[in-house]
Amino acid sequence: MNLFVDRYPEEAWIVRAALASSFLALFLGGIMGLIQGLHRTGFLQIVQDSTYYTVLTLHGVSMVLLFTIYFLVGFFQWAVTDSLDRSAEDIRFTKLWYFLMVAGTVMAAAAILGGFTDATNLEADVLYTFYAPLEAHPIFYIGLVTFVIGTWLAGVDWFRSWWAWKKEHPGERTPLRAFMVMTTMLMWYLATIGVAAAILFFILPWSLGLVDSVNSLLTRTLFWFFGHPVVYFWLMPAYMMWYVILPKLAGGRLFSDPLARIVFVLFLLLSVPTGIHHQYVDPGIAEGFKFVAMTNTMFLLLPSLLTAFTVVASMEHGARQRGGTGRLGWLRSLPWNKPAFTGMALAGLMFAAAGFSGMVNAGMNLNYVIHNTLWVPGHFHLTVGTAVALTFMASTYWFLPQITGNGVFSQRLGLVQVLLWFLGMVFMGNAMHRIGLAGEPRRTAEPFYDGVTFDTALGSISELHFQIALGSVILTVSLLLFMAHLFLSWFDVASNPAPDNGVIPEALSGPENAPIVLENLRLWTAIALVLILLTYALPLASIVSANGFFGSAGTLVGTAYEFAVSPFVGVVA
Amino acid sequence: MDSGTESASADAWDGEIETEIGHDEYDPYGTLTLIGIYFVIIALLWVFMYFVEFLGEGPTVM
Repeated sequence: MNLFVDRYPEEAWIVRAALASSFLALFLGGIMGLIQGLHRTGFLQIVQDSTYYTVLTLHGVSMVLLFTIYFLVGFFQWAVTDSLDRSAEDIRFTKLWYFLMVAGTVMAAAAILGGFTDATNLEADVLYTFYAPLEAHPIFYIGLVTFVIGTWLAGVDWFRSWWAWKKEHPGERTPLRAFMVMTTMLMWYLATIGVAAAILFFILPWSLGLVDSVNSLLTRTLFWFFGHPVVYFWLMPAYMMWYVILPKLAGGRLFSDPLARIVFVLFLLLSVPTGIHHQYVDPGIAEGFKFVAMTNTMFLLLPSLLTAFTVVASMEHGARQRGGTGRLGWLRSLPWNKPAFTGMALAGLMFAAAGFSGMVNAGMNLNYVIHNTLWVPGHFHLTVGTAVALTFMASTYWFLPQITGNGVFSQRLGLVQVLLWFLGMVFMGNAMHRIGLAGEPRRTAEPFYDGVTFDTALGSISELHFQIALGSVILTVSLLLFMAHLFLSWFDVASNPAPDNGVIPEALSGPENAPIVLENLRLWTAIALVLILLTYALPLASIVSANGFFGSAGTLVGTAYEFAVSPFVGVVA
Repeated sequence: MDSGTESASADAWDGEIETEIGHDEYDPYGTLTLIGIYFVIIALLWVFMYFVEFLGEGPTVM
């Protein structure tokens, strides 16, 4: 057998553990999503309004930090081990980072779940965007830091494998999947500087009572320094699947390996210096800095549009190899009966729609129309909630046999599941965007206020609320199907043999056509750092000089800083 | 494919390829068509946003 689990049983164990953690978080987060969808539309309110924010935090943290990142580390472990064709350098180290992530998860989860009861003082109703002034129990932040350190060590583990491989293969191009992992992790190291600084220097000392106050704008800015690139951290494994697995499932070959590498390098360069576009309405950051962030964000559309071309061209290649003809007729020759293919293709389609709402978010003027409205969750339910989540679920129908050695329970049931997810999100995504245009706020248990009405351009608010509730129910049915199917396949209830999926076919234009400079990750990281400095140095300096490191209230540390540095700043000015 | 009888691969490379198409024979004009349609849709949506934002003359969220 050529299965991953037979060749690398110990690494397959880690991949399975990571995926199990990931899907557990997906299940928990999904149930919270249903509660929210029914609560804020008024159809069924089983929790108090105040508890809504505990539910919302659990939904956000489970979905966008735990589900996505656990899946990522599992999938990346497979990608590195399989593409370099070598075992982990030290499997104990691999287990160490996984269990660090688990320990962090347990701490953060305990803090969030404490919000459901008054029996403890544990609480973390701070949402997934946990910047000040919202404050959680310190164990929440300690848990998050531990979790992130786990991901850092995972990156170290994969870099060790890559360096060892390079020593044995001098002059060879890095295999595509390993290249994608390394560029993504470099981006992650740069991005997490922001959140690490925000938590370790400011939010955690404040939560522990070591300092009296924080500069809220500073912690917000440091959060979004991390908070935007994290969306690419979710997205990069999905991109890897679209580039590497989807063409194979379609019966074709990747159109261009060099283009795929360029896309990942562009994400390394441009993901971080964009975070300020989440702060267009924040007072205290000058318009000029916001304009720079907008420009970088618009440049970031380029790798996504390159991906749209390359991935569709690779699918078309498959369709034509399978006998497809015509300008659009080839679409009929794609394997729509396979859930792994159909789910990923529909996820890509939804991502194209999300591209439009993302352009609206990114534009400084249009952002004012939709800022803090339900449009924004509408946008990211199409990106992370469909492009990423549906790709992860769909790919599991292909991926699971590789790591468990068991066949999937039923392709037909899988097909129903991915179609239901797409359908549910069509209702929910569409309605959320339109409600947002009408001005209904996000992050709100009760969106209605006396004397305030929301006018929709088309349809009524109650019809749109019904669409959200209907969408949440369909998505939950899809999720339950997925979990049941996963259980049946994992434990091999039908005793289906695992298919031998063979090797991933070579790209039409192979790595030998890529410019050699693409391999120089030091250079790309250095350029990324320069771009970050250009975008962030001045805004951060201006935020700190306006209100100090710890807010205008002033603390011993803040005052000491101002005492020591302001004369110097005066001289320079 | 029904459950219980599945042994075939989940990808289409096993026995479903009619003709192998190499780098030089492949012309992705179907992709061009799809991307063209996408750009038309995006352009129309931008025109729509122009009406929402500038010609509606209603108060915005802010």
